[in-house]
Amino acid sequence: MRSSSGETILGVEGARLGYPGAVVLENVDLSVGRGEFWFVIGPNGSGKTTLLRALLGLLDPLDGRVVRDPRFAARTRTGFVPQQCSFSQALPTTVREFVSLGVIGGDRGRSERAQDLAWALDRAKLQGMEGLDYWSLSGGQRQRALIARALVRRPSLLVLDEPTEGMDIGSRAVFLETVDSLHEEEGSTVLFVTHHIEIAARYATHVALVFDGCLMAGRREEMLQPEKLERAFGERGVAFADLSASASSPGDDA
Amino acid sequence: MIESFVDSWGLFGDTYLAGWAVATLLSLIGVWVVARDQIFLGAAVSQASTLGTALAIWLQGVTVIHAFETDAVTFLFAVVASFLTALVSTRPSRPGRESAEAITGWVFLAGSTIPMLLLSSDPHGLEEVHRILFSSILGASRTDVWLFGFLLVFSVVGVAWLRDSIVLYAMDPEMAGAVGLRLPVWRVGMAAWLGVTVGLSIHSAGMIYTFGCLVLPAMAARKICREVRPMFVVAPAIGLGTAALAFLLAHGVDMPPAQMAVAFQCAVLALAWGWSWLRSRVAA
Repeated sequence: MRSSSGETILGVEGARLGYPGAVVLENVDLSVGRGEFWFVIGPNGSGKTTLLRALLGLLDPLDGRVVRDPRFAARTRTGFVPQQCSFSQALPTTVREFVSLGVIGGDRGRSERAQDLAWALDRAKLQGMEGLDYWSLSGGQRQRALIARALVRRPSLLVLDEPTEGMDIGSRAVFLETVDSLHEEEGSTVLFVTHHIEIAARYATHVALVFDGCLMAGRREEMLQPEKLERAFGERGVAFADLSASASSPGDDA
Repeated sequence: MIESFVDSWGLFGDTYLAGWAVATLLSLIGVWVVARDQIFLGAAVSQASTLGTALAIWLQGVTVIHAFETDAVTFLFAVVASFLTALVSTRPSRPGRESAEAITGWVFLAGSTIPMLLLSSDPHGLEEVHRILFSSILGASRTDVWLFGFLLVFSVVGVAWLRDSIVLYAMDPEMAGAVGLRLPVWRVGMAAWLGVTVGLSIHSAGMIYTFGCLVLPAMAARKICREVRPMFVVAPAIGLGTAALAFLLAHGVDMPPAQMAVAFQCAVLALAWGWSWLRSRVAA
């Protein structure tokens, strides 16, 4: 597993997050270092997506502040994979057009974009499908198109919001291997929101547990402890702890 | 028929040019409306503009402020009403917030009824509202030609420059925000573009022509094209082509040109549906 540089590129300090009249998370402190693979885990409605939106700059904190390394402030090298992209099925688009929209706001030159598109399609295992109608793809292939759209920016920071929801086991494995290889080979920092603790146990260097309006964050081996998981998920957390222990490979060193 | 049409240029040249510019311009903006799948937004924005016009006429009747008694004020009210409707109807959804569909429905109904109630005792005002609803473009002037010509050039340059960002913002605003587009600025900008164009068009070309040109060519382009980006060329081509043919034919058979143009656009959309169905059958 790739080690991180420890250099903070994104963080939240003493933040209160939510919407006017509806505070979702309080006293949030989080520091994401370059090259780290973060998993944000928590029950439904706990505020995972709210945290992500704040980190991406889509939601201003009610209090406190979001800290970004100046090199990431413009978001030219930030890739985002939403849970799903719910535009109208009546709208025609090909895989090529859909993925190439990801370059908007990026810092790559025109001549590099064709190479980046080919590279992103290859990494997402969509090569040869460029000309296909986006809506003719399977659910798993569409999710891979979403990650290709994020990769085409050659991101140093990749943010994924529950991207494996609704995927079958095979598609999920391919998807996760793609993200993991990006982290390992390109040194990208990854922020991955999911319900699946076993995935975090396998790939994470760091974990943030979001529950009851608060956030606990730290290295994977500190966070995936039975008592902490029980606090976050109740009695189910103990079962999750067993699951995470079995999913984590013995040789892994975060 | 063509010779007679050319002969009529001296009298109706400005009307033809303004009508074609409006058709091309609205078809271009319509791609954004159709890409968001907010077809009814076009109707609501058009109807809100009628409400703005009626409100201006009503105020001219009840107030003694002379500054209100100008066409510019009527234009302004129409544009502001369209802009506000577009702005409110494109707000991002949020738990507890009214849906965009519900708001557009409310605006449409309010815009349909209030003008009649406000101007029920004002024959001149009612006539103006009926003219808007009837979509008569015969009164378009040289000023309209310059105005819509300028807006068209401005829009073509804007689309050429920002086309991909417009497509991403329409398809996936969350992603657009995540990669650095300033969503509040974009929302206000797009609402202003739509509001100004529809507000001015309603005043010059009427409700049916404005709503028809806004959504029908873009809907047809959506069925013809395989990607969103070419729709920005195909939709204006359909808008301009149907308007040109309709004006020619309407002049020849002495029928209202605006209605003829919208009827042609409906026919093109029906053909596009057929073409799309045929293409999917062949592909299968």
